[in-house]
Amino acid sequence: MGFFRLDPEVYARHKDDVLRLSNSFQRIDARGLSDREIAERLGLDEPTVTEIRVIAERDCYPLDEWQRAIEFKRKACRDWAAAALKRPDLKDS
Amino acid sequence: MTELPSNATKRLKTMAISAGAAVVGVADAAAFDAHAPARHRPADLLPGARTVVVVGGAQPRAGDWVATSPWLLSTMGTTERIQGVGRRLAQSIESELGYYALYVPPGTASGDTPFLSLMLAAELAGLGSRSLAGPILNREHGFMYWSAVITTAPLEVDGPETAPACPAPPCREMWAREHTTPCLRVCPLHEGGCLAGRLEDGRAVRTGYDAARCNTRVHTHWVGGFQKVLEETLNEPDREKRKMLVYGDFMTRTLWAITYSSTNIAQCFECMRVCPAAHGLKEMR
Repeated sequence: MGFFRLDPEVYARHKDDVLRLSNSFQRIDARGLSDREIAERLGLDEPTVTEIRVIAERDCYPLDEWQRAIEFKRKACRDWAAAALKRPDLKDS
Repeated sequence: MTELPSNATKRLKTMAISAGAAVVGVADAAAFDAHAPARHRPADLLPGARTVVVVGGAQPRAGDWVATSPWLLSTMGTTERIQGVGRRLAQSIESELGYYALYVPPGTASGDTPFLSLMLAAELAGLGSRSLAGPILNREHGFMYWSAVITTAPLEVDGPETAPACPAPPCREMWAREHTTPCLRVCPLHEGGCLAGRLEDGRAVRTGYDAARCNTRVHTHWVGGFQKVLEETLNEPDREKRKMLVYGDFMTRTLWAITYSSTNIAQCFECMRVCPAAHGLKEMR
């Protein structure tokens, strides 16, 4: 048995549906479906859905978003320290 | 299997508190069925599971919340201390009560999906409720870390909390005044953040959440970040430019974080930092 590789075309076709149905991004009002349940609904097999889901979780944003995350946290953290400690000089400029 | 002593639940809870938990509760294993998909329910992990014991604690200290570097909380805010309590509980249930006890592993079952949602477990054990920002908040202690043990022991269960910690009174006042809350203001979905919501009749209603973006913030220097830089590096044909990516600060910090995996998992706390219900700002000298 060879190493399981997902066909990029299958991935592109189903990634949005798999993410929408899955529990990867949990919602308060409804539970997500298991990979098996998603497979049944989309007419795929379970290992394919698992692979699509895992790749799609990482594929939502490009690397630039990770850089923006750093900048966001640096600013938010310093702004809070400035407010909490009443030290405007600590504020991120 | 031995008979469960009538005071077993109370004894177990006392043991958890003396071991370092700030709160402890018991959820009915069957209560997960309505909320968690198959394979992520207690009985999927431990056949015959009846209850789930949940402990919470190890909250960041006031100094951690006011630190000026966002990277401080990612090393001080750790589940490690409360996980030790969970492991002790599992040991105690098996050795003293004679029932199976499965410590819920903190890792993932596949992708980013946990074996069992610890937030759901905490909620069902009556230890807190979901905040507008997402994390479960305890009414007394606010934001905390969780650990859980699934067991076949028929312990006495606690019901879910009825009065939520979120929204806190200052947030209700802020909503009346400005139509926003501290968490919504610091990380607004409509301005490239993660959260959207409103207060309705004094209750928090979430209307939007960008989980994928939240992942880039919570796990900036973690598995996702590593994969992203690796992909970029493999796609970069220039050797010197590849070197800049691999030796750069992002990759280096990411590798440190992954190496010290148990103390660097959560890396964004900004919605909780500004939340009055999460920790409350205690002014100190």
